[in-house]
Amino acid sequence: MSAPPNPTGVTGRRVAALAEGWRVYRADRGGLFGLAVLLLVVGLALLAPVLTRSEGLDVTRVRGEPLRPPSATNWLGTDESGRSVLLLTWWGARMSLLVGLSAAALSMVIGTVVGLLAAHFGGWVATLLLRVTDFFLVLPALVLAIALSTVLSRGVFTIVLAIGVTSWPQTARLVRAQTLTVETRPYIERARALGGGHRHLLGKHVLPAVLPLVFATTTLTVASAIIAESTLSFLGLGDPSMISWGSMLKSAMDTGAVTAGAWWYLLPPGLGIAIVVLSFTLCGRALETVLNPRLRGTRR
Amino acid sequence: MTDTRDELETRGPASGPPPLLRFVAAKVGGGVVSLFLVAVLGFFLFRVLPGDPARTMTRSTPVSAEQLAALRHRFGLDQPLYLQFRDFLLNLLHGDLGTSYIYNRPVAELIVERIGPTVLLVGTATVLAVLVGLWMGTRAAWRQGGAVDRWFTSVGLTLWSVPTFWLGLLLLMAFGVGVGPLPGLFPVAGMSSPDVPPGVVARVLDVAHHLVLPCLTLVAVIYAQFMMVMRTSLLEEMGAEYLTTARAKGLREDLVRRRHAVPNALLPTVTLIFLHLGLVVAGAITVETVFSWPGLGLLTYEALRVPDLPLLQGTFIVLAGSVIVMNVLAELIYRLLDPRVRDS
Amino acid sequence: MNPILRMDGVSVTYRGSVRPRQAVIDANLTLEPGATLGLAGESGCGKTSLALAVLRLLPRSADVDGTILLDGQDIERLTWGGLRAARWASASVVFQGAMHALNPVRTIADQIAEPIRLHSSERLSAAVSRARVVELLERVEIPARRRDAYPHELSGGQRQRVMIAMALACEPRLIIADEPTTALDVVVQSQVLSLLRRLVAERGIALLMISHDLSVLAASCRRLAVMYRGRLVEEGPAHRLASAPEHEHTGELAAAFPTIGDTASRYQGAGEPVGAAGSTRRPLLSAEGVSVEFTDRHRNRVPAVREVDLDVTGDEILALVGQSGSGKTTLARTLLGLRRPDTGVVHYDGRPIPTSGRRLRDFRGNVQLVLQDPTGALNPRHTVYEAVAEGLRVHGGAADEAARVHEALEAAELRPAEEFAGRFPHELSGGQRQRVVIAGALVLCPRVLVADEPVASLDATVRGEILALLLRLRRERGVSSLVITHDLGLAWNIADRVAVMRAGAIVETGPVERVLIDPEHEYTTELLAAVPSFERSVS
Repeated sequence: MSAPPNPTGVTGRRVAALAEGWRVYRADRGGLFGLAVLLLVVGLALLAPVLTRSEGLDVTRVRGEPLRPPSATNWLGTDESGRSVLLLTWWGARMSLLVGLSAAALSMVIGTVVGLLAAHFGGWVATLLLRVTDFFLVLPALVLAIALSTVLSRGVFTIVLAIGVTSWPQTARLVRAQTLTVETRPYIERARALGGGHRHLLGKHVLPAVLPLVFATTTLTVASAIIAESTLSFLGLGDPSMISWGSMLKSAMDTGAVTAGAWWYLLPPGLGIAIVVLSFTLCGRALETVLNPRLRGTRR
Repeated sequence: MTDTRDELETRGPASGPPPLLRFVAAKVGGGVVSLFLVAVLGFFLFRVLPGDPARTMTRSTPVSAEQLAALRHRFGLDQPLYLQFRDFLLNLLHGDLGTSYIYNRPVAELIVERIGPTVLLVGTATVLAVLVGLWMGTRAAWRQGGAVDRWFTSVGLTLWSVPTFWLGLLLLMAFGVGVGPLPGLFPVAGMSSPDVPPGVVARVLDVAHHLVLPCLTLVAVIYAQFMMVMRTSLLEEMGAEYLTTARAKGLREDLVRRRHAVPNALLPTVTLIFLHLGLVVAGAITVETVFSWPGLGLLTYEALRVPDLPLLQGTFIVLAGSVIVMNVLAELIYRLLDPRVRDS
Repeated sequence: MNPILRMDGVSVTYRGSVRPRQAVIDANLTLEPGATLGLAGESGCGKTSLALAVLRLLPRSADVDGTILLDGQDIERLTWGGLRAARWASASVVFQGAMHALNPVRTIADQIAEPIRLHSSERLSAAVSRARVVELLERVEIPARRRDAYPHELSGGQRQRVMIAMALACEPRLIIADEPTTALDVVVQSQVLSLLRRLVAERGIALLMISHDLSVLAASCRRLAVMYRGRLVEEGPAHRLASAPEHEHTGELAAAFPTIGDTASRYQGAGEPVGAAGSTRRPLLSAEGVSVEFTDRHRNRVPAVREVDLDVTGDEILALVGQSGSGKTTLARTLLGLRRPDTGVVHYDGRPIPTSGRRLRDFRGNVQLVLQDPTGALNPRHTVYEAVAEGLRVHGGAADEAARVHEALEAAELRPAEEFAGRFPHELSGGQRQRVVIAGALVLCPRVLVADEPVASLDATVRGEILALLLRLRRERGVSSLVITHDLGLAWNIADRVAVMRAGAIVETGPVERVLIDPEHEYTTELLAAVPSFERSVS
């Protein structure tokens, strides 16, 4: 109760608040599982060039038999060119995570800016932004992403752009709703009466209140972005020179792995997607619980 | 004591045209604007953004300069952009979506051929997913944190995390092709077999047989959305004070749920279900690709491989447009269902 | 005759995640048939828990000890079926905030008919139950044609009437009314109270009414019981408790609802302008012919403030009173320059208030706002120090920031200032938070405070302290206040002058002693009549 008022005391309280948040997060077993899996997967993906040799990905330099089931040399079997499915899955993680995270970041930036502006400034700007958001919210995002990645040149950047510019409306809606809620709080009016301008209001009060929730939603957006990436790659719209989980599944289907019953080729990339997406979803939900006390106890 | 002031507080009906009519007009008008925007977006995406559509369409095949020029002339690409846009809009109004590059047939004709199978697949899957999702969401929310809730939520989240096409491939391998001793139980591709005995019943059964796997895939991936939406929305109602009123009146718990909590929770769920229709359409594209289901999704896939820009433009406009129309319908329905918005 | 309700040693404990919390401790109450009992207490004192325990409506996390006999039946021993039969038929509830206590998507007739059908022994035809609903609606003075209305289509007072009609539906022998009029306006409150009072008296229904407002209870109930921190601390006849309270806390509750005209409840220093410097008597902040219009959702222009002239002179406390919706808050926002008047001008210190830029900011430094809800008025992420320093930083910062914040906190009686500076709002009590808001205004050395319902969300015990602080600020620092309130008692407590507002216009202005004791305008008389007071309590 009687902490000293010096800055360290304040920092101490902030640390304590973080610790409290962590305590709530820790109580969510799904969130913990997701976090652990993500740390492991991200770590492995980053260390892929150190722990494995990328020559095994080069079709011209592999010597393995095509479409062989798991064996002692190739623990997860081989693909249609005789490459190790384990190696492909390992390197594919890099691509899926990279695209998922970048697209989600792009979508977060667009969504936050649009949502904030639509809520804070009334008038025709808000009306226009809201209309545009609603339009894109209803539009099937994947169909739009397919269209974009078809007409633009193939590449990682195109995929990130296609997913990023089609997945922001949810974030924009959320940020707008949250901003409107925050702006009804009397402390905003107090700040205004103290003489604070737009920059003061947005920077000191609105943004700090909205950002944590944006962060939680972005975690969920990463999950859907990874799915979207795999779908686009599966439809053959990805970067043909890069290996991702989606492109592995595309090769599997195109080369008849399904009819050949090559389950070892289908399972690893799909499970990779499912586990990473599930982990991001679980983390996002756990974060929401931490940030939104109203959800506490309603989720378990 | 007379009660004039209290009466004054009552919000009387608004003057002017009937609110319902105005609401319908506003929503339909908004829908028309959205449809126009879809058309503009379609033009921008497939005519403007590629720079030179003729070159884009032929990027996988070597073509001479004369062939390119001929192609440009055929698709009207040699005209100024504003004239192209004008013609595009005029043709669209007449139901003319241009000519497909690969099929060399009117796009509209191709789409009409393929629309039936998609409606069958998406319609069946949506109805099943809504029923299953709402029922499971209600069960899960009512005993929150219980075994049923934990199971439903975990399974739902897991299925939601799975890419649709991968689940399709697995089901295809397991039940279509057959794994190990397990024989293939369902057809692996298409919507009907060539060797069906004559008769309506036999043909319906044959289509249903083909429908099982793609439909199952779609339901498995989308029901979780509906379940989670219903669960959250019901949980929000659970703390509502009018439920305490209902209990105080002496209602049994199941009546409190059926008469008071569920109807209230259902309302926001309706709109959210329709907002998720875009996901269903997206799912249909990959599912149709995996199972070679001859619908709009497969047509899109065939078109994007070339890419056949006029055909893609057509499917884009039809898919996006139908989702917009469904959403306008949803808002109208919602308005009829919820008295709170009915006259605001 | 057996009592309708008897509680013996009732305790309610909530099993918390950290430690159990005792909401009610060893409560004993008896209510004879047809008797009326008011249960008073501050928020969180356990009064609602006690009332909900009667019908076993508490959440599962609550444990109830002791015995509760409802109409002779031990409700803890009833089966679920027996309990359901007893609910509403033996005792019904009028919940607070009928907006939330009624199902928003079903018509009121439907909701009133529900318990009738549920508790009748034979199957009722639709016509019979409809006739009964119409009869009930008429009894609470709602025209039968409104029966198919949804809750949101009714006004707050009408919704509360619907709740009362619903409570009467099964002719219960006891009605529990939990803050039945709290969200309502004074005039509507008095109508609803008299209706409830009359209906229970006519039919000999026992009434257990719960409120934080001792005057409301005293006006409706014969006996009063006061609850404090989970315990019943005093019980007795209403007039005795109101006039000669034994427990200290009863006195505090009573003081929050002063008797207008009683000089004893006038705070020391009220109505005695210091008037040292001669210049202070001229208008400091004034509205001249100010009108403000809103555009409603049908694009109609709705006047909120009409042609108002109002002066706040230096060194005075002016109370602006009126019902909710009378436009007093809009007028305050306009005086603060947060809203531009559609016609008319606001002058500060003889000059029209600036509309933008540095000069507007300077003006803002001189006229400061204190809001109703101190919990919402502080950003939960900012420490007390940051909240108070915010004004200085907005105005370009000050080299001696720390010293000025310290001084402002001391002036708002948060002593020692060092101890409060590092805290977050959630670590403070409601009264302390309001002091932080006041300190945040004082740090800019304003000459006028515009306080919008400054004590409405505070508990009775804190109310007096904050009002005394406003008086002291005027005396010691010469800060004038414009206090906006629906509470005439507050005006009587501290104000020098009163302005009465109705439907956007000011109908009467003058010294407190004149306006509140000898009103000239009939509307002021009407407002004064609506204030529940101990004198007019049931005899």
